[in-house]
Amino acid sequence: MQVRRTLATVIATSTVLLGAACAGDDLSKDSANPSGSGSTAGTGDKGAVKISGQNFPEATLVASMYEQLLDAKGYDASVTLVGTRDVYMAKGQFPDGVQVVPEYVGGILDFLNTTANGPKAEPITTSDAAASIAAGQSLLEDKGITLLDPSTASDTNAFFVSKEYADSEGVSKLSDLEGKSVKLAAAPDCKGRSDCEGGLTDVYGIDITELLPLGYASEQTYKSVLDGESQLGETSTTDGALESQGLVLLEDDKAIQPAQNLVPAVSSEWIANHQDAADALNALMAALTTEKLTELNGQVTVDRAQPEDVAKSFLEDEGLI
Amino acid sequence: MSVFGDTWSYLLDGASWAGDDGMLRLLLQQLLLTVTALGLASGVGLPLACWLGHLGRGGFLAINISNVGRAVPTFALLALLVTMDWPGVDTFGPYGRAGIATLLALTAFALPPIITNSYVAVHEVPGDVKESARGMGMTAGQQFFRVELPLALPLIVGGVRLALVQVWATATIAALVAGPGLGRVITDGFANTYYGKGIAGAVVVALVALALELLAAAVQRMVDPLPRAAVRRKTQTLVAAAAE
Repeated sequence: MQVRRTLATVIATSTVLLGAACAGDDLSKDSANPSGSGSTAGTGDKGAVKISGQNFPEATLVASMYEQLLDAKGYDASVTLVGTRDVYMAKGQFPDGVQVVPEYVGGILDFLNTTANGPKAEPITTSDAAASIAAGQSLLEDKGITLLDPSTASDTNAFFVSKEYADSEGVSKLSDLEGKSVKLAAAPDCKGRSDCEGGLTDVYGIDITELLPLGYASEQTYKSVLDGESQLGETSTTDGALESQGLVLLEDDKAIQPAQNLVPAVSSEWIANHQDAADALNALMAALTTEKLTELNGQVTVDRAQPEDVAKSFLEDEGLI
Repeated sequence: MSVFGDTWSYLLDGASWAGDDGMLRLLLQQLLLTVTALGLASGVGLPLACWLGHLGRGGFLAINISNVGRAVPTFALLALLVTMDWPGVDTFGPYGRAGIATLLALTAFALPPIITNSYVAVHEVPGDVKESARGMGMTAGQQFFRVELPLALPLIVGGVRLALVQVWATATIAALVAGPGLGRVITDGFANTYYGKGIAGAVVVALVALALELLAAAVQRMVDPLPRAAVRRKTQTLVAAAAE
């Protein structure tokens, strides 16, 4: 009996606590909303701007630059980061409910191409950014998306090996791996892609025995290569965390990577009336270089600085805000 | 082509089922994983919860400790386990990459319904029935195995049934650490903007969950000492008499 009564009390109490927790949640959400995602709120007199993007470190950093830049221009910008491109490209999101997305030339064009023409569509992107954008112009217009000026900073897929593997096998570029059998730790979308598994197999002639979908430049991917479970890992050219872990980036000497220059993707309808925002974002793109971006990424992923702080000091150093 | 058309043709395509990363092998792998995790959780949870239920104490503690398995997200536990030196991500026989970590995470997830149900089932056997058993001179063991357990069995099996379906559906998260099971089909499909494949994986998981649920419901009905139809009651009495 005693236990039964105790149990009843516990259930009753936890119900009340649960109710309170839910109420608290609602309240905190309400109070957080007006200030966007918790960073500096602008004066907001030019209206709200919603920024979305993927939540890996570089995109977080660049999204934060966009947010602070637009806030400084008098917008009320807010950032929502999500797991994959599919989420912010879904109906009602970008370019309808979301106005600005930090993108990559090849990334967004390939996405639009495969969603419009099926998973096995002929790739429209090449290693030339301007040509790729020209090829994807009709796809962009159909969706109501405008790409602003691409930056010279470019974040393509890249592949790394451990230092021991590089030394023992004498590998410094991808073509050195020709004919070798390797396990590849990469993003889950790697299979068959011409800039990933497909290209490594067909262009470089590497025998990929197994593809572990451990993520793009993720801790799991680093660990898998460092532990020797896999030999080759996928990351980006702007990865600032490789050197400190004893990992070596291999050169893409046969150029299988499409141009992945950073580019602001904006809603065509919104940007038509907000030329000052376009100017500000274009100025930011002009200020960024691949080396600069790698260094800033390192500050976030290796030195554990807050992306907001790194973004702010970069914008201030460049005189953008 | 519509997404559902894609899903349908993916499901009908024999090639989707065949081979090392085909759905058939992954399905069997996930079944093995589910059954093993459920077995581990039952092995630990059932004796402990039944014993505590019989004693009529300690259940509050056991239920709340096991509820940690529910409160801590299974994925968080899995992510933590794979970063540790042991169990890590080592391939574990037919369980595949990160097999041990996945098993442990799923076992922790299966414990709460099993422990809660079993404890409550045994503990809530009516007091007068227990008293009669004692009055007849039964030992504690006899009281448990001949009176409490038969009466509690439907509810105990109900807990295992709940755990079975939950573990089966949750096992898909193993794919997030490149682990075993059908989750790989779902993550692959969505990561490659091939939604038909992702949905096909989810459909297969859902259908098997339904099948498991029906199977478990049948078992639960079978162990019910108070069957619905009079005819069945008669047969069961005969069976029980024969067994004694």
